[in-house]
Parts: sequence; C-alpha cells; structure tokens
Amino acid sequence: MIDLPFDPIRTAIPLFIALVLLEIAAGKWFRAKVVYEGRDAWTSLLLGLGNTIQTALMLGIIATTMLWVYSHHIFEIRMTWWWAWVVLFFADDFIFYWVHRTSHERRIWWASHVNHHSSQHFNLTTALRQPLTQLVVGQWVPWLFLIWMGFPPAMIVIQNGVSLVYQFWIHTEAIKKMPRWFEAVMNTPSHHRVHHARNPRYLDANYAGILIIWDRMFGTFIEEREDDPVRYGIVKNLGGFNILRVAFHEWIGIFQDIARSPKHALGWLFGPPGWSPDGSRETSATIKAKWRARVKREAAAPIAAE
Amino acid sequence: MPQDRRILTPVSTSPSFRAEWGDALDQAYIIQFAVSAVAIVVLASVAALARIPRKVAPLNEASARAVIADELPDTKVERVWVDAAGRAAVAKSGAEGVVLFRVGDGFAVRSAPWSEVVQAPVKGEGVVIRFRDPAAPAARFQLAPGANRAPFAEVAA
Repeated sequence: MIDLPFDPIRTAIPLFIALVLLEIAAGKWFRAKVVYEGRDAWTSLLLGLGNTIQTALMLGIIATTMLWVYSHHIFEIRMTWWWAWVVLFFADDFIFYWVHRTSHERRIWWASHVNHHSSQHFNLTTALRQPLTQLVVGQWVPWLFLIWMGFPPAMIVIQNGVSLVYQFWIHTEAIKKMPRWFEAVMNTPSHHRVHHARNPRYLDANYAGILIIWDRMFGTFIEEREDDPVRYGIVKNLGGFNILRVAFHEWIGIFQDIARSPKHALGWLFGPPGWSPDGSRETSATIKAKWRARVKREAAAPIAAE
Repeated sequence: MPQDRRILTPVSTSPSFRAEWGDALDQAYIIQFAVSAVAIVVLASVAALARIPRKVAPLNEASARAVIADELPDTKVERVWVDAAGRAAVAKSGAEGVVLFRVGDGFAVRSAPWSEVVQAPVKGEGVVIRFRDPAAPAARFQLAPGANRAPFAEVAA
C-alpha cells in the first residue's frame, strides 16, 4: 500500500451508498427513469466487493513496481505544484481512454472488462460492477509511464481515484441530458449510456473517463439518439446470475478456444472479441457492417418499390 | 522532504511498519470488508424490495418473434413455440434453432442446430436445452401438463 494523504474512493463510499438509495427512491416515488432488478443489483454489488479483494491481493506487486519505476524517474515533479495536477488530470484521462478502448477491442482485456458491461441494466450499481481480473491482466501498467516521467505514485493513485469517483454518477438513466456545454466536453450519463449499449449503432463508442474530448478527437464518439433507444448489456447476454459465470465466462471461453485450436492462441487472446480463425463468429465490426447494410437495404426498399 | 518520503513509502511492505501496524492494518481491512459486505446486503435488499424492475409480460408468439427480430434481425423465423410459463420460446429457422429465455427482467437468446434443440431431453413437464456457451450453458422450457410436446415431442414420440 502507498500511504495516501487523501483517498478519493474511500472518501466517496458513503456518497456511493447514499446516491444508490437516492436513485432507487427517485425511481420508486418520483417516477424517474430508474430500473432495478434485485438479482442484477446483487450481482453488481458482489462484483464490486470482489474487485476490492483483487486490489488487496495485487497491491503489494503494484506498489513495489510503482516505487521501483519511481526510483528511476526522469523529472522531479512535486505534489505541491498545482500545474502538475492539471497536467496529470489530462495525462491520466488520456491513458484511461486508450486502456479502456483496448479493453473493448482486444479479447484478453475484454475478458476482464466484460463484467462491467454484462448487466442488462444501467443504474448506479452498474458503476460498482467492476472486473475481478483487470489488475491481473496488467491494466495498471500504462500508468507506470507517468511515474517514470516523475509523477509520484501517490499522485497517480489519487488521480485514478478521482476518475473512478467521477465515473460513478454517469451510470444512470435518471439524468437525461446535461447542459450543452457540459455534454460537449465532459463524459455524461447520456454519453455513457451509449457506451453501455448493445445496439449495433452504438457498439465500441464513447470510451471516455472524465473528458469526452478524446472520443471526439479519435473518432469513437457517438451521440445518443431518441429514435434508437439504448438496450443495455453485451451482444450475447448472459444466461443467468451465477457470480462465477458472470465473472469468468469469457476467460472460460478463451481457454476452451485455445484448447480446441492452440495454433490460433494469439488470435484468441489478442484478436477482437468475437474473432475466430474462419470468421464464423461475429465481431463488433461485422455486426456494425451487417447493420449498416440492413439500414441501407431498408432505405432503398421504398425507392425500388416505386 | 519528510512528507514526500511518507507518501512514497509502501507502508504495508515495510518490515518496521508491519511489525508495528501489521495486525491493525489487517484488522482495518477486515472491518472495511465486513462493513462493505453489510452495505451490499442492505443495498441489494432495498433494490429488490423497491420492486422497480422492467415490466415484462409473459411471452406469446408475437412478442417472442419481436424479441428474436431485435436480437437476430437477419434470422427468418418459420415457427415459434412458447413455453407454458411464457418465460421461454423456441423458434425454427431452417436448420437452425433459436432459443430465447428470461433472465431476470430481460432475455437471453442463443442459437443451436435445430436437431440438437428438438433432441433436448424431456423430463416430466420440463425440457433443458443445453448450449456450448459458458455464458449461457442451458435454458429451461416448461411444457404445459398433458399438452402437445411439440417441437420436442416430434423426436420423443
């Protein structure tokens, strides 16, 4: 453990609990658009607890690695320099965007991240539905670059916590849209609903953590549309609430695929989710291509009829 | 820079810290874990007791076809059988079978060869259709007591 002067996540836990209760109350008594299914919420919360166990188990390795890298840092950056926090805010969010994007586009990391997307609901407990293996598959490693540059490990951990706390409140259907200027720059519930959608139109979009500008810059931004209401979950929704299946189904799938066809192990691990050597399965790209072709066909149909 | 040194020290791995604070740290983690577990039970209970799930009517042929059209838009369904509880349906699409079944207040859909779907073992009033998918290993199809067991009866007969 790195001794933090301030731990944003621990500080925010009472707020998390209060906001979940508030969201449920808003859905129950104030007709806000809020949907909770008991077993789904239970699964999400248990995965959140499981994530804290993973963190506790991996903490020694991560802290030791961070400190080793910091012992070789290039620049001297102090926690007391305000501009260092500004630079870190952008750098951390930029790294988050790419790590998150990779988590969707490469199966080995998707196997871990899929937990967060496997609920058919989008409420504040979905925010706590965290992966059990993201530290094991090294999703913390890219941040070592910032430590090597000279940012103290505590700054990185704090900024990561701030980002995670920010991303909590955007997991809700209760908030429709924020003011236009806010929607333009920041990640919002509307943008993040698109990210959790399984509609072909919305697949693989809006990877932002705090700032939506990265998606706008790198071509992955998609606006939520009223004529295509978001359906939540994954392309092939889970068949139950068994916590072990929820947590490890994609890993089991990878191992089964590798056992069946070991010579394609690299493809099974690092190909996009849905990749197969003979192309018989569907990836996001093929689903989107089929959807585009269907839309084009349907748009052309009335013209052809004339 | 005493403040910086404190920030940079991995306290839990320092032997002197472990000697002095190890038990307290372990105890703090256990307390935090226990409190989190209690909070989870409370929140999940409140979520369940609030009864604000999606409203899902029991399946009929039209709604089953609508779900399949949403999930597998390129699939042309020939025939649909809905289970007695309105919680699952089986559809034939050429040599392919499509099975949809309730999961909470939503649905999961899986495809399997039609020959495998109709050969699913009938046990009493239920049929368990198995898939080669770790994310959804099986679906249960409830038969009406004493009624026609199609499509499963076609093979069972």
